[in-house]
Amino acid sequence: MILWTPMQLELVLEGLEEMVSPRCSQVVHQGVPMLVEKTGDGRSRVARLLSTDPGDYLKPELSPGSYL
Amino acid sequence: MARTRSFDEEPGVFPYSPDIDPEPSVEPDHHPEYPGDPEHPGGDHPREPRRVQGRAKGDVNSIKELGTSQVPEVKSNIHSLTIVGQIEGHLVLPPQNKTTKYEHIIPQLVAIEQSNEIEGLLVILNTVGGDVEAGLAIAEMLTSLSKPTVSIVLGGGHSIGVPIAVAADYSFIADTASMTIHPIRLNGLVIGVPQTYEYLDKMQDRVVNFVINHSHISAERFRELMFRTGELARDIGTVLIGKEAVEKGLIDGVGGVSQAVAKLKQLIEQRKNNEEVPLQ
Repeated sequence: MILWTPMQLELVLEGLEEMVSPRCSQVVHQGVPMLVEKTGDGRSRVARLLSTDPGDYLKPELSPGSYL
Repeated sequence: MARTRSFDEEPGVFPYSPDIDPEPSVEPDHHPEYPGDPEHPGGDHPREPRRVQGRAKGDVNSIKELGTSQVPEVKSNIHSLTIVGQIEGHLVLPPQNKTTKYEHIIPQLVAIEQSNEIEGLLVILNTVGGDVEAGLAIAEMLTSLSKPTVSIVLGGGHSIGVPIAVAADYSFIADTASMTIHPIRLNGLVIGVPQTYEYLDKMQDRVVNFVINHSHISAERFRELMFRTGELARDIGTVLIGKEAVEKGLIDGVGGVSQAVAKLKQLIEQRKNNEEVPLQ
């Protein structure tokens, strides 16, 4: 992959080595399959939708980063 | 849970009103068929008011999430897509970056194309570039939409933001917004590929070809801007601000939200008129 940006790369990539990939699990929420990550307080946060219905991607409550 | 259900059976009515006697032995003060009619017993005075509790659906949620009690629901025939921060590609960027996730944007564009209610798309850009492949994927999706699209560059549309801005049917740039045009090879991060001159040149040609095919700038002019020296501190290239981008033929016009929405409405009208031509 090629990152093309006028921003300083040191700024963009700072902390890349220390990043731990979040443990994602696949769930079906309201009939929509998705990957969720557990946050520290026990809630689940949407990481990525796996649905094949394009309409699901327009739902604001299912956008990546929102809590279930 | 059972108590909540009994509330929902008659929305807005508080079932435990002290004004209504629950005893069945008490005669009603109104004739059931002629309420308020003096001919019938008990109809000479108006009915006792019942205590009604006003309760809008989803009220608590909207207070919690938005800080308001009533959210007016207005369905718009246009959708707006904001592209901010870094366009994230195959590599997840560290969390200090604000990112636009292309794997979510692309199915949204499919939904917009397929939907009957959505008639046009407004793309709002304030991006500092990002992944070349992901950016080109979004740009190709935008340009292949059959519905009218208008883009507006607000703060900045740098690097890979340039092909996304020109991918729309009509593009606007705010008076103070800037676009950085610089070569991929000098300030690019390449992971897992042989970083040869030919490879980077090919990647750059993809971007240049897309831009010249979707704007009024020529390849020579665009490359000249890309390789100009003396304008950027850490790189070669050019920063175009507001109307400079229009003069170079990259962007169609200088304007803000009102001009962009007006243009989008005009394009939607044109499309409707074209469709209404009867088939012979």
